Amino acid sequence: MTSFDSTLRHLALAAASACSLTAFSPALAQDATFVLNSREAGAPTYNPIKGTKLNIANNLIFDRMVMQDADQSFHGQLAESWQASPDGMSWTFKLRRGVKFHDGEPFNAKVIEWWIPKYKGTENAFMVEEIDKVIVVDDYTVRFQMKSPDPSLLLNMATSFMGIPSPKAYEALGDMFGVTAAVGSGPFKLVSFTVGQQTKLVRNDDYRWASDLSKNAGPAKIKNLTLREIQEDATAFLELKTGGVDLLLGVPTDFLPRINAEKALKVVTMPGTEVFYMPMNTSVAPLNDIKVREALALAVNQKEILTSIFGGLGMVANNFLVSALQEANINPKFNISYNADRSKKLLDEAGWAVGANGMRAKGGAPLTLKLWTQNGTQFKRVTEVIQAQLKAVGVNAEITVHEPASINAQYRKKTDHQLAVRAYDYTNADIIDWFFSATRLGYPNVSMFNDPKAEELNAKAMKQSRTWEERVANFKVYHEYVLSQFPLAPIYQPTQSFAYSQTRLKLPETIRGMKMATQSIMDIEVK
Amino acid sequence: MLNYCLRRLLLLVPVFLAVSVVIFLIIHWVPGDPIDNMVQIGSSPEQKAALVARYGLDQPLLVQYGVWLRNLSTGDLGDAIILRRPVLELIAENLPHSLRLGGLAFLFSTVVGIATGALAAVFKDSWIDRSVMALILLGSTLPSFWLGLLMILLFAVQLEWFPVSGARTWTALVLPVLTIGLHGVALVARVTRAAMLDISRRDFVLMLHAKGLSHQRIQLQHVLRHAMLPVVTILSLRIGWIIGGAVTIEYVFARPGLGSLLITSLAQRDYPVVQGCLLMLAIAVMLGTLLGDLVQAGMDPRVREHLR
Repeated sequence: MTSFDSTLRHLALAAASACSLTAFSPALAQDATFVLNSREAGAPTYNPIKGTKLNIANNLIFDRMVMQDADQSFHGQLAESWQASPDGMSWTFKLRRGVKFHDGEPFNAKVIEWWIPKYKGTENAFMVEEIDKVIVVDDYTVRFQMKSPDPSLLLNMATSFMGIPSPKAYEALGDMFGVTAAVGSGPFKLVSFTVGQQTKLVRNDDYRWASDLSKNAGPAKIKNLTLREIQEDATAFLELKTGGVDLLLGVPTDFLPRINAEKALKVVTMPGTEVFYMPMNTSVAPLNDIKVREALALAVNQKEILTSIFGGLGMVANNFLVSALQEANINPKFNISYNADRSKKLLDEAGWAVGANGMRAKGGAPLTLKLWTQNGTQFKRVTEVIQAQLKAVGVNAEITVHEPASINAQYRKKTDHQLAVRAYDYTNADIIDWFFSATRLGYPNVSMFNDPKAEELNAKAMKQSRTWEERVANFKVYHEYVLSQFPLAPIYQPTQSFAYSQTRLKLPETIRGMKMATQSIMDIEVK
Repeated sequence: MLNYCLRRLLLLVPVFLAVSVVIFLIIHWVPGDPIDNMVQIGSSPEQKAALVARYGLDQPLLVQYGVWLRNLSTGDLGDAIILRRPVLELIAENLPHSLRLGGLAFLFSTVVGIATGALAAVFKDSWIDRSVMALILLGSTLPSFWLGLLMILLFAVQLEWFPVSGARTWTALVLPVLTIGLHGVALVARVTRAAMLDISRRDFVLMLHAKGLSHQRIQLQHVLRHAMLPVVTILSLRIGWIIGGAVTIEYVFARPGLGSLLITSLAQRDYPVVQGCLLMLAIAVMLGTLLGDLVQAGMDPRVREHLR
């Protein structure tokens, strides 16, 4: 054998070895089990068009036109690019090519033409109500003719309720779509689903079109993903500790020290999407006096609540919106922060004098207010601290705990309640409209806030904004005005925490978006 | 006996109607409604009103009850408002889990309860009796929620013998069955022991002693038989609990079941589901007591004679 032959032989052997190593290298097929956040438990369907409660799996099964990052910027998913006309009366979307639904059907402009009208008559119809017509320009270009400018169109398109199902499967399954089967174009396919128990997904091996929020364009690194619903936090923690599950998508603050004490587990926190606040019934005495409302708002010591109840985890809330929103970035003079001295001064000015017992009264009537809250450890704790803080400025607050399912009916009576401790979880400024519009007095407008100027500003923000920038500016003005009337006291913004097994999973360094969702799950590896 | 059975079954009808009225009124009078759980942030009051009308919730209560009763007569429990599926289908999905868990727990508590109660009665005032009484005390007083978590910590986390939660394998049944079963063991053991000690004081037992039979033989062959009558009564009352009473255990162990379905639906005010689940529980209680009465009649000739 010549040296050349020998070299060739060695090269061939080396090539063969390299091939065999590749062939036997660990496959990407890996299994993982996550536990849903208890708030998402019990979702009854995977039908994004008709569903009113969806969970994280929905965005793994269905793609959306766009996705939103934590800085509120929009990133294309099934839409590669988009353009709004200067007057806001039309939107043109260029669609991604090469996308297929799980049943093999192609995604194109005809799908969008079919999809939008499907919302008519459903609980989610309001999301597309400003779209007058859908025009197919070509196979991968679609135009929305609008009835009026809707700068929140992209925001709506980014929500779970705008996941796009396969038309063929949707028509074939009818009412059973989302119940017995759900067909989208997402990185995972639905295998099985038991309400209140678990959802099993399997990787879509054809997936190659993740948004740029994910490092991995597809397919996902997890092969079989099980999403379990465990409502008891202690049980969920023990499952994580024993390796029964790999990741908890929601961890109560109480459990964080215990999880941090486990070497194999890790906690990741992100800015939250919730706000705790205290609405005040502006229609009943003495809360119909703006000085009293301002005094009560300034009596709430947000920092004390943050440190004593939540161990410093999270942020104080100084206005009504989640701090990540642009509309939360208002003129600082409108932010509401603790100021006990000013609170006492305002109450004095309002005629509520301090008696010998340290409590205030006016014309012989003590300043005693009803303070409602709902059943739940965090709510009760926050309410008790607020009761003590109000007492410090001479206000007696009597706590009543209501069952969550019945408290809204109590608010609808309109005059029974005075103060309440509530929270919402929402990342859109139109939450101000939801909770303070005069068209919803009682509930959800627990403050019974009915102000003509606020209604005017509401209409301008909700209906008359032509572009996103205009919308942000109009909502800021609306937000500032609402705060200036003190129908609420902002309290606290929780963080989002999730915990995972470091020995089992490798998470991306940065969690994109406002929650742990599709964009990050694409990048999760099973070790 | 057959006439008695038929009479009892016929009596179930007016009881069933009365129970249906109570169930319907209770859930509709409690504040809250399912529509609150359905409206989306951003929807208008008109959209909410349309939803209320769609599900007939704007109709007078009498009309709503009439519609429900009419459907019930054809075996239709209606469609869940939130879950949007036939209630019968939801119950059919969850009932087997409850029957499995409840049935095994019932069997466990019956067998172990009677055995330990009998043991305590036979060896009265001994260390066996005292141990059983201690077990009864623990079983009766420990909250099931806490006991369940303790079971998980010991057997699933420390010893790793069983899974922490879920319903994927048969081994996942062991801890929940033990948790529920221990409560039942305490009750059945206490009743068995008390009944046996009471029977032991009767004249015929004295006669048996006089005849020279051993204490254990008298207790196990004669006294225990008579003591079963009150035990059967207690067990028949627990049958209804089998179906829906395990809700806290289902919650702790993240298991499906009728109890979980009921609690979730109650929290969401999903009226058709709550009504359907409560009806199932009521039927289980009614049938359970009927079964208990029939078993007693079968066991006790005096009852059979009275029925003739």
